[in-house]
Amino acid sequence: MTTARRRAVGALALAFLAAVYAVGVVLLWRSSIPGGLDLPNLDAREYFGAAELEKARDYQRFVRVNFILTQVALLFVLGFYAVFGPRFARESAAGRIGTGMLLGMIGLAFLWLAQLPFGLAQLWWERRHGISHMGYGRWVLENWLGLGGAFLFICLAILIVMALAGPLREWWWLAGAPAFVGLALLFAFLFPYLIPGVHPVRDQALLAEAKELAAQQGLEDIRVEKQDVRELTSAPNAEAVGLGPSQRVILWDTLLDGRFAKDEVRVVLAHEIGHLSRNHIWKSVAWYALFALPGAYLIARATRRRGGVYTPAAIPLALFVLVVLELLALPLQNGITRHLEAEADWLALETAREPEAAERLFVRLGTTSLSDPRPPTWSYLLMQTHPTLIQRIAMAEAWKIRAGHASP
Amino acid sequence: MEPHPIRLVVMDDLRRSRLTVFFRLLLLIPHVIWLLLWSIAAFFASIANWVVVLVTGTASLDLHRFLSAFVRYSTHVYAYGFLAANPYPGFTGSPGYPIDVQIDPPARQGRLGAAFRLILAVPPLILTAVLVGTASWNATGERGGYDASYSAGSTGSFSALGLAIVVAFLGWFACLARGRMPQGFRDLEAYSLRYAAQTYGYLFLLTDRYPDSDPSWPEPAPAPAPPAITLHPDGDDLRRSRVSVFFRLLLTFPHFVWLLLWSVAAFFAVVLNWFAVVFTGRAPDALHRFLTAYVRYDVHVFAYLFLVANPFPGFTGAAGSYPVEVAIAPPERQSRWTAAFRLFLAFPALLVTSSFNSVLVLVGVGGWFSSLATGRMPAGLRNLGAYSLRYAAQTDGYLFLLTGRYPYSGPAQLPAPLEDEPEEPPLAPLAA
Repeated sequence: MTTARRRAVGALALAFLAAVYAVGVVLLWRSSIPGGLDLPNLDAREYFGAAELEKARDYQRFVRVNFILTQVALLFVLGFYAVFGPRFARESAAGRIGTGMLLGMIGLAFLWLAQLPFGLAQLWWERRHGISHMGYGRWVLENWLGLGGAFLFICLAILIVMALAGPLREWWWLAGAPAFVGLALLFAFLFPYLIPGVHPVRDQALLAEAKELAAQQGLEDIRVEKQDVRELTSAPNAEAVGLGPSQRVILWDTLLDGRFAKDEVRVVLAHEIGHLSRNHIWKSVAWYALFALPGAYLIARATRRRGGVYTPAAIPLALFVLVVLELLALPLQNGITRHLEAEADWLALETAREPEAAERLFVRLGTTSLSDPRPPTWSYLLMQTHPTLIQRIAMAEAWKIRAGHASP
Repeated sequence: MEPHPIRLVVMDDLRRSRLTVFFRLLLLIPHVIWLLLWSIAAFFASIANWVVVLVTGTASLDLHRFLSAFVRYSTHVYAYGFLAANPYPGFTGSPGYPIDVQIDPPARQGRLGAAFRLILAVPPLILTAVLVGTASWNATGERGGYDASYSAGSTGSFSALGLAIVVAFLGWFACLARGRMPQGFRDLEAYSLRYAAQTYGYLFLLTDRYPDSDPSWPEPAPAPAPPAITLHPDGDDLRRSRVSVFFRLLLTFPHFVWLLLWSVAAFFAVVLNWFAVVFTGRAPDALHRFLTAYVRYDVHVFAYLFLVANPFPGFTGAAGSYPVEVAIAPPERQSRWTAAFRLFLAFPALLVTSSFNSVLVLVGVGGWFSSLATGRMPAGLRNLGAYSLRYAAQTDGYLFLLTGRYPYSGPAQLPAPLEDEPEEPPLAPLAA
């Protein structure tokens, strides 16, 4: 094949891939939120007291600075490790893949050490504001055990990557990306079983409400569970987790401790069921799949000069590239999650039909979690996984206007 | 290496009187009472000695003599109680007992080390407790101490019998049955008593030399028959990477997972091997190979975890791939009868292994602090860890029918040529 023809085939393949990606993005971006929905421009001071706003801003200021410092420390440590990490290969008698695993684990260990002071500072701040009740010792211990889990995960990932790099060499990413998508699916399926302190909800009224909301959103039934977190935090939360038979809604016990009215809990329930009814976990994995292929390719490309991920010495660099890519993709990733959360909010309004309760809930979430209703743009892009509180309240207002128009 | 100022001399011929063995504990009662009284006197004498060493830099000759006699006497009593020696000991701690302690005369000592002696002695006291005492942890997590009578608190959420006690318990049956103490058991007791004597000598300021936990120094008595499974830590240079030491437990997680999976397969392989050996008298090559790799891998993982070696081990248990190397003899003919009852026969060895495991954990914990501080694993601790791993590997090999040879519990490192045991072993003194 001549060079020109090879280039043409390459360009064609690239164009085909771009088309597939474009179709994928369009399909995944589709939402239940009506097109052209105008969110009113609200003033946060109408919903939050001046003192509350000041307290939330003061709290978030520290959180943001801590976030930035964490990222800087992370990049610095991993950059350093990318250069000097390969010398840890002499600590291994484990062969090519085993040495790669060791280098991956040591990289994570450095990462853990680098993030430890910032994590402790964050905990100190949360404790100071009454958001977390967790002891420092317990936090460190749990984090340390979490690091053990991360070690297992990175070992599995490196096993896959380096095993594929054996026969495929620099083309490992073609098979690696689908393998990671498979792993993500497996993890999403297993995740509900890994959450500690989860019990079935006994409140029959709540279960009946969940059933009714699920039916409205086209689900036959839904499993609702409660997670005990009261000893650790006062912040309320809920999540939709699992795939297929493992899918369920988990409500934190801090949401059910009487601070939130029944109609507010109903809104939360409808929101979480919305995630499941619109297959948001499947969609998240699909988004991940779209990122995985180019991400794996870029890692393969970046590590080529070190012999590719076939050689253990390339693993520290691969880790660095991965973290840099994740950081670069963060605004995009947050944009996607905010989009999914907004859809769940809309579905909650459509099925619970409690806009006043939704507004009260968002205001209360702001005061209990000390969220800033209007964060700075950079923080919104890098740190905000949900729409801002004022955007969420605005959506409730928009729904009210729309429902008022629609109602006879 | 310069000999330790406190040495154990073994003149024991392994023969035991069945009658005194049977009543050994009762016979010990007068000695226990006397030892208790002597311990009280030794307590005050050691305080006086501490003051003297702090002031003059040397132990007083009289106090040194008194405390040396106490250490010697307690060693005689425990050697008798643990069946490491046969004759009834005297009450004065005079030299000449078959398991005896030689202690050098007083020498100059560093005052700073003497001032903090009680604190410095804590690690060897803990190891002594695990070797010859009863280690215990209570519900609040405090560790039971080790007192002069070689026992500590018995209440707690965890308690473990010392290695020497477990061996003495098993040796009691062996002595009653055969009229002899197995050499491996006796040598292990001698090693434990040597370490205890050195620890107490250090605590009482008879010397400022730290107790030496190295079982391979001085050269112990050779094993009576070459073991089928040997372990050599010769490839290890004692250097440890602080980063990997700090995260050692977590770094071993992937190996735990793999070992668990491998253990499931190994279980079925052992069952198949059992049938094969019971019916043919020999382990099939393929199963032997598979189980050999499993035992080797198991040793690699725990050598890594407990800092007996430094590099991250491979996942295949390949021979020659790790500094702590396990050599396992090829398949050999085995007695079908002992193979048929292997699980029951292995029970005493499993008991000893569980005590060795406590030692191994302590080696890991002590080695962790030491390696983090200095970047090196102390040779004594490393060799003690290797000794524990070797016994565990021999037990596994016996249990899995890789060999018909019983695990050898003595600290002897190298296999000795196979010879018939003489009727009357020569009474050559052995430094232990």
